[in-house]
Amino acid sequence: MPPHVPEWGPSRLAALSLLMLALGLVATVWLPGLEGEQPSALAANYTSAELRGRAIFQREGCWYCHTQQVRAPEVGRGTIDRPGDIGPESAPGDYARQQPVFWGTERQGPDLSHVASRAAGGNRAWQLVHLRSPSQVRPGSTMPSYAHLPDDELEALVDYLLTLK
Amino acid sequence: MALGAQASPEALGARRPFIVAAREALMGEEPDGAARYFLYSAAFWLLLPGLAGLALAVLLYAPAAQELIPLGLRGPLGFGRLRPMHVNVLLFGWLSMVYVGSMLFITTRLTGSPLYSERLARVTLVVWNLAMLAATISLPLGITQGREYSEMGWGIDLLLVVGYATLAVNIWGTVRRRRHPKLYVSLWNFMAASLIGALVYAIGNKVWDPSGAYVGMTDAIMSYFYVHNIFNVWFTTGGLGLALYLLPKLAGRPLFSHRLAIWGFTSVWTGQHHLLYGPGPEWLEILSVAFSILTAVPNTAFLINVVKTMEGSWGRLRQDIALRFLVAGCLFYAFTCLQGISQSIRTFSAFIHFTNWVIGHSHLAFVADYSFFGFALSYALLPRLLGREIASQRLASWHFWLVFVGILVFMVSLWVGGWMQAVSWQSGARFIESVQLLKPYFLLRLVAGGVVGVGVLAFVVNVALTARAPRLTMAPATPSAGVA
Repeated sequence: MPPHVPEWGPSRLAALSLLMLALGLVATVWLPGLEGEQPSALAANYTSAELRGRAIFQREGCWYCHTQQVRAPEVGRGTIDRPGDIGPESAPGDYARQQPVFWGTERQGPDLSHVASRAAGGNRAWQLVHLRSPSQVRPGSTMPSYAHLPDDELEALVDYLLTLK
Repeated sequence: MALGAQASPEALGARRPFIVAAREALMGEEPDGAARYFLYSAAFWLLLPGLAGLALAVLLYAPAAQELIPLGLRGPLGFGRLRPMHVNVLLFGWLSMVYVGSMLFITTRLTGSPLYSERLARVTLVVWNLAMLAATISLPLGITQGREYSEMGWGIDLLLVVGYATLAVNIWGTVRRRRHPKLYVSLWNFMAASLIGALVYAIGNKVWDPSGAYVGMTDAIMSYFYVHNIFNVWFTTGGLGLALYLLPKLAGRPLFSHRLAIWGFTSVWTGQHHLLYGPGPEWLEILSVAFSILTAVPNTAFLINVVKTMEGSWGRLRQDIALRFLVAGCLFYAFTCLQGISQSIRTFSAFIHFTNWVIGHSHLAFVADYSFFGFALSYALLPRLLGREIASQRLASWHFWLVFVGILVFMVSLWVGGWMQAVSWQSGARFIESVQLLKPYFLLRLVAGGVVGVGVLAFVVNVALTARAPRLTMAPATPSAGVA
């Protein structure tokens, strides 16, 4: 083998690796954490029914296809049915009471940050029909049906969705 | 030697009862045993999550397929339940286990010393397989922590931390007892990948809290710190270490530049580039973009090393399927980095993020790069572990071409489809139009995914045939020094 880098033993390597990890944690987790986050007006104070719905949202993996973050360049332009109805830009405080958060990475379906503020999305009856049979109220939808969930779970899920104002 | 006596019935082609074989796998002390069983386990854990991937592609193309599922199974076989099983078991089952088995094997060769503890390696083997068994069952049951790459429940997290920690003890312990004083670059990578991998996994999954999640924006930042760094520290640092061992071996030439390879040994903390223009702090995004662009340095160093080491050996690609997988994986890797950097530019990210382009990118990294490394390692190391050739060269060649062509079509269909989705969003069209325009791309992806699946099946069958063939020679009792 060609010349090896000299005199670097395991202990120095361990020190270097741990230092890099520590720097990474300080710079990208601890420092941003210092900025703190006061709950915003949009941060819901969940009832137990809403929390149950949120757990179902998590369990069924709704968040794989629906994000919950509106980015600055989308404000006023992002369109679900009408231009700009994606809603206002998300702020850190919106998430202050969430564990875990559902920011998401894919939009096979529309962003849900402010779904309850949209005409159809804010309607409990529409939400229930939509969960059971999405393409009935949204022709062309590729969302699976959740009619196999018990009624009380669907109600709880809608309770949660209606907190997304 | 007692080991020779144990191995002799196999040498005659006799089959041991399953229970005896299982006991040997879990508790035996035969050198390289854990490495071998890790490679077998890895191939096994391709099957169910691979099938889940196909099911996901079907559900995206034809959601009505859900009606074919019996009512009682619609929960466990739903899109949102299968997706985490697909991702987690492929990453931590197939890919991580082929990494661990190969690291155990290669570490003894590069140090010229037997493994620090073969017994401990069997513990790693058992906890890792238990973790994957639990994940395969619990994720479709909806037991999830709701964070990407860290969905697996608390108990599984603990098992995997034990897995990483015992691996780190074995690698560091073996290095401490090494007979060759100099550390080849691959050992650097294995040492860092196992130690920091354990820590990143533990911190990212918040293993001291059964909920596994932080609160509010901290959770989002921590989650993507974890996502990017388990990728960076474990899959990339580990994978490049494995490639840098295998490439000179298969090419039959020394590594072009060890110093250049060390340049690749840099860690970057770029998780936040997954959240550009998100609600997080702006300075953090800019820092993460800077780090992402900086990755061009180690990546260029790696690519130069690959091309220069291969000089004069390109002809070997015709014969050697392991080398073919490895070189293809390295070239895909270079492309992944280029694409990754472009995606971390804020304006481009604003355009392309949330589309299927990104799904194409993640399959590029995990299938075309690291799984190709995994196939290369399996084909190169299993013959050395077993003392016989891979059962079928023809099957292996089919495997290469099916997976190579399949994954290319798969990725291109998602990139083009993702681009069209982004254009639709920019145009201000109704969202549902961006859903419908994906149909043809999802069909192409489904077909291409099926082709990849057939290729993967050929691989698993080949590994099983190789494992079951009668042993021609004894497994090497001690690692021979100087193989490195």
